[in-house]
Parts: sequence; C-alpha cells; structure tokens
Amino acid sequence: MTGKPLGGIVQIQPAREREIEQRPLEYALIVRMFSFTRPYALKRNVLYAFVILRSLQLPALGMAMGWVLGLIVRQHKLPQDQRDFQVILSAVGGYLALALFTNICLHFRQRLALELGEAVVHDLRDAIYRHLQTLPMEFYHKTRLGRIISRITSDVDVVRAGVQDVAFVSVVQFGQMLGAAACMVWMDWKLFMVVLAMVPVLWTINRKFRFKLSRANREVQESFSRVTATLAESVNGIRVTQGFVRQDVNGGLFRSLILDHSRYSMGVAQLSAVFLPLLEFNGQLFTALLLIIGGTWVLGGEMHVETLLQFFVLANLFFGPIPTLGNLYNQALTAMAGAERIFKLLDTKPAWQDPPGATDLPPIRGRVELRRVGFAYDAGRPVLLDVDLVVEPGQTVALVGHTGSGKSSIINLIAKFYLPTSGEILVDGHDLRSVTSHSLHRQMGLVAQNNFLFSGTIYDNIRVGRPEATDAEIVEAARRLNCLDLIEALPNGFATVVGERGSGISLGQRQLVCFARALLADPRILILDEATSSVDGMTEARLQRALETLLAGRTSFVVAHRLSTIRHADQVLVLDHGKVVERGRHEELLDRGGVYMNLYRQFATAAEST
Amino acid sequence: MTDSPRPVLPDPYDNGRLIRRLLALSWQYRRQCLAVLSYQVVLLLLGVAGLGLIGLGFDVIKEHADNGKPAHWPFGLHPPATWKPTAEIGLIGLLVLGMAAARAVLNYFYTMALTRLVQQEIVVHLRGQVYDKLQRLSFRFFDANASGSIINRVTGDVQSVRAFVDGVLMQSVIMVLSLAIYLGYMLSLHVRLTVVCLLTVPVLWIITTLFSRWVRPEYAKNRDLVDTMILGFTESMQGIQVTKGFAREREQHAKFATANAEVRDQQRRIFWRLSFYNPTVEMLPLVSLTVLLSYGGWLVLDDQLEFGTGLMVFVGLLSQFSAQVSSIANITNTAQQSLVGAKRVFEVLDTPIEVQSPKEAVKPVAISGAVTFQQVSFHYQAGDPVLTDIDFAVKPGECVAILGATGSGKSTLMSLIPRFYDPTRGQILIDGTDIRRMDVDTLRRRIGLVFQESFLFSHTVAANIAFGHPEATQEQIERAARVASAHEFIVGLAHGYQTILGESGVNLSGGQRQRLAIARAVLLEPSIMLLDDPTAAIDAQTEHEILEAMDKAIKGRTTFVVAHRLSTLKRADTILVLDGGRIVERGGHDELMRAGGHYFRAAEMQLMDDDTRRRLREADQP
Repeated sequence: MTGKPLGGIVQIQPAREREIEQRPLEYALIVRMFSFTRPYALKRNVLYAFVILRSLQLPALGMAMGWVLGLIVRQHKLPQDQRDFQVILSAVGGYLALALFTNICLHFRQRLALELGEAVVHDLRDAIYRHLQTLPMEFYHKTRLGRIISRITSDVDVVRAGVQDVAFVSVVQFGQMLGAAACMVWMDWKLFMVVLAMVPVLWTINRKFRFKLSRANREVQESFSRVTATLAESVNGIRVTQGFVRQDVNGGLFRSLILDHSRYSMGVAQLSAVFLPLLEFNGQLFTALLLIIGGTWVLGGEMHVETLLQFFVLANLFFGPIPTLGNLYNQALTAMAGAERIFKLLDTKPAWQDPPGATDLPPIRGRVELRRVGFAYDAGRPVLLDVDLVVEPGQTVALVGHTGSGKSSIINLIAKFYLPTSGEILVDGHDLRSVTSHSLHRQMGLVAQNNFLFSGTIYDNIRVGRPEATDAEIVEAARRLNCLDLIEALPNGFATVVGERGSGISLGQRQLVCFARALLADPRILILDEATSSVDGMTEARLQRALETLLAGRTSFVVAHRLSTIRHADQVLVLDHGKVVERGRHEELLDRGGVYMNLYRQFATAAEST
Repeated sequence: MTDSPRPVLPDPYDNGRLIRRLLALSWQYRRQCLAVLSYQVVLLLLGVAGLGLIGLGFDVIKEHADNGKPAHWPFGLHPPATWKPTAEIGLIGLLVLGMAAARAVLNYFYTMALTRLVQQEIVVHLRGQVYDKLQRLSFRFFDANASGSIINRVTGDVQSVRAFVDGVLMQSVIMVLSLAIYLGYMLSLHVRLTVVCLLTVPVLWIITTLFSRWVRPEYAKNRDLVDTMILGFTESMQGIQVTKGFAREREQHAKFATANAEVRDQQRRIFWRLSFYNPTVEMLPLVSLTVLLSYGGWLVLDDQLEFGTGLMVFVGLLSQFSAQVSSIANITNTAQQSLVGAKRVFEVLDTPIEVQSPKEAVKPVAISGAVTFQQVSFHYQAGDPVLTDIDFAVKPGECVAILGATGSGKSTLMSLIPRFYDPTRGQILIDGTDIRRMDVDTLRRRIGLVFQESFLFSHTVAANIAFGHPEATQEQIERAARVASAHEFIVGLAHGYQTILGESGVNLSGGQRQRLAIARAVLLEPSIMLLDDPTAAIDAQTEHEILEAMDKAIKGRTTFVVAHRLSTLKRADTILVLDGGRIVERGGHDELMRAGGHYFRAAEMQLMDDDTRRRLREADQP
C-alpha cells in the first residue's frame, strides 16, 4: 500500500526518472566539449602555454626552497668564520624572482581559464536556446519545463567547472606531481620508492571517501528535498492548515522530518570526521617514516642532510595534488553527465521541419480549408478523424465540445504547431505543409488559454504582436478594444511591470492585454483559446465587447466558453471524440435538437430558471 | 493625512541589536561550545608540538651527521647519552606518529561534537520554532512575502543564523587562540624575526578585506544578471506558444542573447579581479618566506637560531599563521550573511500572532449556525477601508450568496467568519456569542471551508479528505466523498483512496479537485460552510459536477458562497451584492432581478437571449 493517511504532511514519490549525476569519462564527449573552444583557439593555446609553464614552475619553486634550506645547512656546517651569508642572500633573491614570475603566470593561467570556460558556457547556452526554438510544440508538451531549465543552469554549470578547473588545473597538478617525482628520482631513487609506496594508500582512501561521501550527500539532499517540499506545501496550503486547525499535527510531523534530515547530515559529518583526519594522519605517518628512514641513512653517511630536506619539501609537492586530483576527477565525471545531457538535447531532431522547398506564404485573405484531416499526438490514439471544414475570409468559427473532444487539436493544426497525420489544411489554397511556418505565423494572431504574459511592462507585452509598433500605436490598440481605462487604472498604466516579478494584474486585465497584443498584430487569421476561469460581471461585459472588435473582419477560430461568442459565430463546430458531429449557426443547431442543444442547455440552463 | 513628522522608531533589526540577540542565542549553547573549543585547543597544541618535533629531528640528524652543535631538546628532556642517534630519531619519529594519531582521534570527536551541536541542536530547534510560528501567522504575512522567501527563512536563513555560532563566534575564538599560540611560539624562538616576518600580515589582512568589499557588489550584480537570464529563459519556454504563434523567435532570441552576454561580461569583470587577488595573496606569504629565509638564514649562520627547532619550525608556523589571517575575511563574510539571515528569522519569530483565543474562551460543543454581522468594518491598512458597515443576520441553515466585482471585499468578508482576521470595527456573532470570545480552534473546526482554487497536499486522496481530522476512519472518509459526489471518480483512480496526488502523483481535473475539497470540508460535519467562488477556475461545461456536490454539502448548514455565476446565485436564500466594501443590494434572486440594479445587470449577461430561449422551449415540445 502506498501509505496511511497520517504518513507525513506530504508524500513525495521518488522521481520517476532520476537524472544520473555522473558518468565515466568518454573520449567522444570530451572532444565534442572541447570543440566549443575552437572559436577561442588562440586564447586556448596561450592558456596551454601558461599551464605547462605553471606545472614546471611549481616543482621548481619547491626545489628552490629546499635548495635554499640546504644551502643554509651547508654553510652552517662550515666553521663560523668561513660561512658566507652572501650566497644565501643571492639564492633567496633568485627564489623571490621565481616566486614573482610564478604568480604572474598564475594571473594569466587563471584568468584565461575562467574566461574560456565562461565563453564556452555562453556559447553552449546560446546553442541550446537556438536549438530549442527550432523544436515544434510536441517537444514542449512532452518535456517537463524543469528538465529544460536544468540544461541551461545546473548542466551548463558543471560543464563550466569541467572546462575552467578540470581541464587546466588537473594538468598543472599532474605536472607538479611529475616534476616533483622527477626531482626526487634524480636525487635519491631509493627514498622516492618510500614516497611512492604511499600513493596507492592515499589514492584508495581518497576514492573510497569520495564515493561514500557522494552517496551520503545524496541522502542528505533527498531528505532535504522532503523538508523543502513539505515547507512549500505548508506555505502554499496555509489557508487550509489554519482553516482546518492542523497547526499542531503539522508541527509534530515537520519536527520528525527535520530530525530525520539532521541525522543524515550527521552521517556525512561522521564520514568526514573519519576520513579527513585519516588523510592527515597519513601525511604525518609519511613524515615520520621519512624522518626515521632518511635520518638513519644520513647518519649512516649514505645521504646528505640537504637531500633529506629537499625530500621533505618535494614530497609535500608530490602529495599535495592527490586530494585535489581526486576532487577534480569527481568533477570531471559530473561534467560528463552534464555534457551528455546537453548534447542529447542539442541532438534532438525536430519531429518535423518545414520541407527544404517550403515557400513563404504570400499575403493572404484568410480562407481556410481542412480536407479530411486526421490527427494523433501518439500514434494509434487518434484525436481527430476526417475533419472537413471550409471557412471563408472574415468568418468566425466556434469550436464546442467536451474536454478531450479535439477542439484544441484543431487550432493547433491550423496554427501549424503540429502537422496533421492525414489529410491537408489549406490557407488561400496553399497547403500548410509546403509553406514556411514563419510566414504563416507572421499573418496569424494568437490568444492562448493561459493568457501568458512575459515579465515586462504592458507595453512590452502588447508589442510582442508587432515589435516595431510605437507606444502610441499600442495605446491606440487598447483604445480600439475600449479598455484604455482598465489598463490606465494599473499603478503605472502601460508602464506597469507584470509577470513573475511584477505587481498583480487581474485575470480580466490579462485577457485584455492578450487581446490587444493580437489586435496590434492585425492578423488575417486569429486563433483564440478562451480562458475557462470566470471573471466578475462588469469586466466580463467589457471583455465580450472587446472580443467582438478583435474578431471583426478576421478569419477566427475560437475554442469557446462564452455563450456570447458561440451565439455570434458564423459557424459552430460541435466535436465529439475527434469527430465533427454537428455544424451550423447557433440557431440552426438549436432547432436541430441534437448534441449541441443538449450541450448548450447543460451549461446555459444551469443559469436559467428551472 | 497629517504633516506632522513621524516619530523615528529605532530599527529593531540594526546590527547592534541583532548581534546582541545572536549572542544571547549562542549563550544557550555555552556548555557545548566550550566542549568543542577545548578539543580545538588540544588539537592546536598537538599540531604545534608536531612541528617542533620534526624540527628537532633535523637538529638531531645535523648534530650527528655534520658533527654540529648538540640539538636543543625541549624542557631539558634530553635522552640518556647512551642512546644511539638512530634511537633518538626513532623516538622522535614515533612521537610524531603518536601525536598524529592523537590528533586524528581528537579531530573525529571535535567534528562530531561540532556537528551535533550545529545540526542536531541549533538547526533543529530553530527550524521547528520558525515553522511553528509560520503556521500561526496571519495570511497578511503570506500575501506580503513570496513563498520562496518564506521557505528560505526555515531553510537557508536558519543555517545563516547558526553559522553565527560556529562560523563567526567559535571561529573567532579559535582564530584568536591559534594566532596567540603561533605568535607565542614564534616570539619564544626569536622576537625580531617574528616581527619582521609578520610585517606582511597586516597587508594580507587589508588586501583580503578590501578585496571582499571590492568584489562582493560584483557578485551580487552577477547573481541578479543570472537570475534575470534564467527567468527570461523560463518564460520564453512557458510562452513558447505565444512566441511561435506570433513568429517572434528572432526577437525572443535577441533578448536571451543580450541577457546571456551580460552574464558573460559581468563574469569577466569578476574573473579579472579574482585573478589579481589570488596571485597577490599567494605572493605575500612567499615574500614573508623570503624574509624568513634570508634573515632567519643569517641568524642560523650566526648561531643565534637553531636550524630545525628554529628556522624550520618558523617556516611551518608562518604558513599556518598566514592561512589563519586570510580566513578572517571568511569570518566577516559569514558574519554579514548571518546578520541578514538573523534579521529574516527574527522577523518571523517577532511577528505577533494576530488572532488568539481569549482567556476563559467559550468552547461551544455544537453551534446551530446563526450568524450576525453588526456594523462590521475592516481594513488591511488604515485609510483604505475594505469593508464598511456590513450588517446582516443569517438564520441557521440559510444560504447566503455574495456577489461583487474584483476587490469589492467578498473574500475578506468570508475570512472574518473563521477569524482569519478580526474586524476593525463592529462585531460578528455566532449563535449570539461574539466570535472573539470563542476558542479559535473550536470555532474553525465548526466551519467548513472550500477555497477558490483548493489546495490539495501531495498525499493520498484519503489523507487529503481527512486533513482536518487525521484519525477519521475509512468509513467516514468515504461518506464525505459520497456527499461530495467524489466517491465514483476516486474508486476509478489507479489506487482508489490511496492514490497519491500532486506533482509527483496523479493530476486531477479542476472539478475533481474541488469535489475533494468539498469532501474535506464535509468530513468535519461543520455547522457553517464557506465556499469562496468554488467554480471560478472550472469551465462551464463541467460546472454542474460541482454544483451537485455543493447542493448535497450545504444541506442543513448555514452557507456563505461567493459566486459570479447565476447557477450558484440562484440557489441562495439571500444574495448580498457588494460594491466598494458596502452592501449595495440584498434580497432573493427574483427580487433583485425585478429591482433592475447591479445584480440585474450582472445577471443579464449570463442569460440566454429570448430567441435562444424560445428555440430551446420549442425543442422541448415534441
């Protein structure tokens, strides 16, 4: 069973398809990721020069310090009156010069890598955006918005880290290790073997820790998402909670949830508490070994004190990169997963495209004809069957029927958001398949059911209908819809910012803005999916009159919920399970006494006296 | 409107006050903090001792290999002269190891103690507190703040507050302690060398502080630009139909490209600063090191300083010291963040609960449902009345419909009955008792609520229906569902009453959701039902599903229903027409239709024209 009624404030089912967080390194993916650096080849190559320089400088710097210490020891060995401080001073001077040079290189290494990563990310985002725009509506109906957004946010971010850090820092770090190793081998290969023996131990501890840590972190994240989901619903459902007096019950449930979350956090802390000190201890173990073994050799005369000193410094340079590299390796795996998802999106082929020979639709009069049009979103589940329809320029067609009867599908086909599965749609005699979508949409206007507004001013939103329109023309469009006063009543009139970050705007005002947008476009064909929500009576009356203005003189297809729209339509198309069951004017259909009459009665007579 | 200057109230959240409150909060955990700190002190001492030992090891090696001067053992603990040099080295090596092992173990306990304090005590306690408070706050608070910001107060802001305890307070103490220990050790080795080597420290500190001040606004700007870009992207995905429908792909892309480029350019500004800062702070310790190597080297050659226990230890201490100093910027950053978070957390904790039960509250066992409004006025903000002189009386079992334009005060009127707000003037009586004298919880349990767009929780159907009465039996749940005409569709769902709703579960149609909401209200067997425009978001064709449920649900109950549609209005015994917060018309449907006022004009639009009516009538006749 899925759960008892009392199992928490909310129950979140595990996401059906979790996106994987990491994937193994793959050559083809890496190459493709790097192909995005091609426009910046010069920058990239200069960067590589600095990377190589840095990977030589770091061991050199370490060597230099060990060498200076060694010089001090050597001078110290001499009797006091023969010691030469000048030697040390010039050595230190050399060290300082090298340090300065190294850090100047660091500036360029860092800046170039960061800039290159950001440039690649910028281009990737742009490529994703461009590609998304070429995908037809099918894609948007089938893909969750959150998924698409995470492509340009989290996925792009991990790729950025991949380019900025992994690609270049890892080379520097590797170079540092190799350089330090080479110096150690050159000085005393036997002692280096001791050093080398520690590598697998450190690497294993590191990998194991990272692995466990990422699993524990996932658990923390999951328990945290339970906390935030519960919080979100508690906030959004606050009216219900207070109205139904559930504060105490919810409070108790929430406490157990945060306790649960803190237990997982403790788990992560425990891992770190074991492994990080263990790593540190290993470093110390190594120091102690070096001291004992190296010390014994020095005492036995097999080695110089200076060499032992050098080893201390070099060994640190050699081990330092291991945790960093472990971390980078992890980042690389994450970047692989992100890159793979991005490229998968970029490789998604549009379900259909305008054919290569498509021509632009010439200016149209607005005659629309559907010939035996059939359609299915999913193969084998038809939503429209053999729809025939002829609409003369300027006519209004009202589409009526129950939810799922195929009303929206018809307007989606006429707008060429989808292609019919069979049959054809002609506009002024041109088959929609053979004309460019762009030229069709240029002559079409649309009012979507959700009355979508972009963040921005009312001006901006209306201007979507015709980008070159002046403010005066926009005001004029509102005036023609007789709704100037309603928009001017907003806090800043036409300059009022609406949308997610903007101030509130009523449902009626939203609809009017969408009407004005369509009117400004002055299209020959208008597609209108009426909002189902009701607005108050006064506003409704204004909307109905505005709608009459908008529809006048245009070929219009309306998914109708308003009685007045249906009544004034030139043709009413009654749909049932994808078929046209009745058609004609309102009065004719009423007289026929069929499906339409019953449907109409159902939602009209509810208001009438019984 | 008055011209007199408003009294300047002290800001309850100025930094001084916030810090005092945060300190008071930390004081509650003083015992645990002290324990954590004592671990840290031991760890520090062990670390320093380890450094000293390695230095000593070198001196011992030098002593015997180069026939140098004898190594300087601390505290006169020189091993017996009979020991071989290798034994001495071995001893030192083992001591280093032993200390390292002790450090590892202590580190474990330190981390665990700290995490337990932070995650299991402070955070859990604060989160619970903020959540409980949130649930009791007036809707005003929820209307004034975006839900994301409210959620963040329980999640992120609470973390910022606790960061004051571990990230600011304890870190500062640890830093002072460790700097003192390092400094003390260095001074004990050589005073002048210490001073010379630490000359770069103030510079490092100043640069770090200046840098974080220099770069912070750039990061803030960057966050804004990224937010704008993502918001724009999200919207162009949500509005893709509009974009395609008007063939505005090019314009939309241009907008995105601008936002995208702005982010890149802003990032470059940050990178530029960053890649100046990083080499600089890496260079400064190296400068100190060169000073140390030259001056220290000279001291060694002059036999004023030991090589291992002196110079090498110094090298180690200096790097630790620099690392600590550059972490000062972290502490100040954390401090700033925790002040911002603390302000937002305290705001919630300090907001008074507006509606509370009086002492000796009346707890009616049952109410019959007579509701009287006496001269009730209400405003959210003084000078901006929402309701004025509302006066009416409803007998038990009657149905009152409320009609009015957006903003006329309908929903506000309804929300006064379960005391979501209290009237600013006048009183509301239920069964003759002022509701302000009643126990709030009891009052609300007697009232069933259905909202405009009913919120259902991501939980099973059964749990949603039983929301107000979690102990309800399956039988009670089903009975409520039947009253709300919901039983049939529920049993048709994949898991029946155990079907999970919500984002990750099954999506119901608007009509189905509203029927569940009605069932949820009915389950409580309330005497009063409040329905706030329950069909608003439902299309006209499916409205009848809800109307039927409503009819059954309100039978025998005093009902208030906000409605636009005639279908609902006509069911009412009394209709109140609100305009600008006043009742402008009242009466039954027929009465108001005859009156030809507001009501008539609103109703007219929904009526069929005469021609349609005639045709329908004719169709009815065989």
